Amino acid sequence: MQSSTILSVQNVCKTFPTRGGGVEALRDVSFSVARNELCVLLGPSGCGKSTLLNIVAGLHTPTSGTLSLEGRPIHGPARERGMVFQSYTSFPWLTVLENVEYGMKLNGIPKAERRERALHYIDLVHLTKFRDAYPKTLSGGMKQRVAIARTLANAPEILLMDEPYGALDAETRWHMQEMLLDIMRTTQTTILLVTHDIQEAIFLADRIVFLSAHPGRLKTILELDFKKGKEIRSKEDLVELEGYPECEREIMHLMRNEAKQEEDA
Amino acid sequence: MTQALRTLPATRAKDTRPKLRIFEFKSDIPASWRLTLGVAVWVLFFAIWQIAAWSGVMPAILLPGPGKVLTALYTLFTEQGFLGDVLISVWRVMFSFALACAVAVPLGILMGAFKSVEAFFSPFVSAWRYLPAPSFIPLLLMWFGAGDAQKLALLFIGVIWFLITLIADHTKAVPKDLINTSVTLGGSRWQVLRTVVVPAALPNIVIAMRQMLAVSWTYLVIAEITAADAGIGAMMMRAKRFLHVDQIMAGILVIGLLGLIFDYLLRALHRRAFQYLDEYS
Repeated sequence: MQSSTILSVQNVCKTFPTRGGGVEALRDVSFSVARNELCVLLGPSGCGKSTLLNIVAGLHTPTSGTLSLEGRPIHGPARERGMVFQSYTSFPWLTVLENVEYGMKLNGIPKAERRERALHYIDLVHLTKFRDAYPKTLSGGMKQRVAIARTLANAPEILLMDEPYGALDAETRWHMQEMLLDIMRTTQTTILLVTHDIQEAIFLADRIVFLSAHPGRLKTILELDFKKGKEIRSKEDLVELEGYPECEREIMHLMRNEAKQEEDA
Repeated sequence: MTQALRTLPATRAKDTRPKLRIFEFKSDIPASWRLTLGVAVWVLFFAIWQIAAWSGVMPAILLPGPGKVLTALYTLFTEQGFLGDVLISVWRVMFSFALACAVAVPLGILMGAFKSVEAFFSPFVSAWRYLPAPSFIPLLLMWFGAGDAQKLALLFIGVIWFLITLIADHTKAVPKDLINTSVTLGGSRWQVLRTVVVPAALPNIVIAMRQMLAVSWTYLVIAEITAADAGIGAMMMRAKRFLHVDQIMAGILVIGLLGLIFDYLLRALHRRAFQYLDEYS
C-alpha cells in the first residue's frame, strides 16, 4: 500500500488571518491517496474540505505541514494537479474542442497531438457531437464534462474535484457520477474529490476521508470494503449491494454527531 | 388507474388568452408596438416643437420650426462646407479617444489583475476623476493655444480616468475560478493574463468604451465652443454671432445623430465580436 502512495498530506494546518487573530480552518490533517484510487473528502460544511483541496492544488499555502506528490514537495499550482471546480469554468469564448485543447496549448503540446488527445477525451465524455459548439449552448452537466475532459487531456497525475456536481440537478448528477466511474475504469486516473453528499461519496469512493468541523480535523478514514471486487456501474447496483444501508447509516451518524457537537458547543 | 392519478377529461376552455394590456410590469410587448411607440415619441416631439414655433411664444428668430432647421442643415452642407467641420470634429473625437484607450486599456487591465498595480495607481486615478476636465481649459489654452492640441488634450483628460476605473473594475470581475482553472492547468502568469483575463474582460471593456465615447462627444462640443477655429461647435458659435438659431439647432441635431451612429456601430461590433455571449443567443 505504502509503495503505491501518490499523494501524501502530512500534519497540515491552516489558519486564515483575520483582524481578531485568525480563523483555524484545518488542524493537523494527515492522509494519503494511492495510485488509481478515487478518494473522497467528506464532512459537514465548515470542515475545511474545500480548503484542503485548494491546498493540495497549490492555490492556498498551508500554515504548517507538508504535502508531496510522487515524493516531490508541493509548492504552488501545477499541471500535475489538475482541478475541476463546482462553478462552470468552460471558457465561453472557446469552443468545446478549443476548451479541451487549452491546457495542452499552454504546455506547448504540438498541434496534431493536441487535436488527437482532445478528440479522444471529448469522445470519452460523450461530447463528440458538440465539439464545435460554444459553452453557451451546453447544459450544466455538459459544461462539467468539458471541464473534466480538459483536465484529463492535460495528463495530470491526480485529478482534484471540488464538489463538481454540486450545481447539477439530481438526475444529471447520477449520470455524471456513473460516467466518472466509467472514466476511472478506462483510464488510469487518480482522483481526490470533495463532496458533502453521502450517497455520492459511497458511490464513487474507494476510500472516504471523513473530516470534522471547526476546525477541520481528520475524524476517520473509511475503507468501503463492501464494494471491493463488486462491479458497480449504476446507482441501482449500489443500492442493491449487501452492506450498503449499514455503510450509509454509519456515515449519516458521523455527520449527525458532528452537527450535534456543533450545536452543543 | 388509481384515484390519486385520475386524469381529468380535457375540457374545451373558453378563450383565456391573456388580454394585451398597455401597462404590464416587465412583460414583453409585441414588436409592432415597440416600433409604433418609438416613432410616436418623435412625432409628438416634432409636433410640440412645431406648435410652439407657430404659437409665437418666442420670436421666430429664436425658435425656428423643425422645417426651418432641416433647411438650414441642408444649406450648411451644400453651401457652407459644413462637412469639413463635421469631419474635423469626428477626427478629434476618434483620435483623442484612441489615445485614451491606448493608455487606459492596458493600465486598467493591469490594475484589475494585480493588487500591487492598483495600490500604486488607484489613489492617483481616483483624485483625477474628481477634477472636472473643463476646469483645465484655461490652462490648456495657455499651453497649447486654440488649436487641435488643446482640444485633443481636453478630450483625453475628460475620459481617461473614468475609462481606467471602468476597465479595472471589469477586469476585477473576471471569475476567480476561471483564473484558477488556467493556473491549475499549468498556465504561467503571462499566459493567464493573455488567455483568460483579457478575453474574459474584453466584452465589458468594449461596453465601457461605448459609454465613454458618448462622454467624449460632450467634451468635444465644450472644447469647440470655448475656443473655436473649425468643427461643429465652431460653426455653432459663428452662427450665434449672426443670430442663426436654425443653424445652431442643426448643429445640435448633427451631434446627436453622430452620437447615435457611433453608439450603433459599437453595438454592432460588440455583437459581431462576442457572439459566444449568452445575451446573443
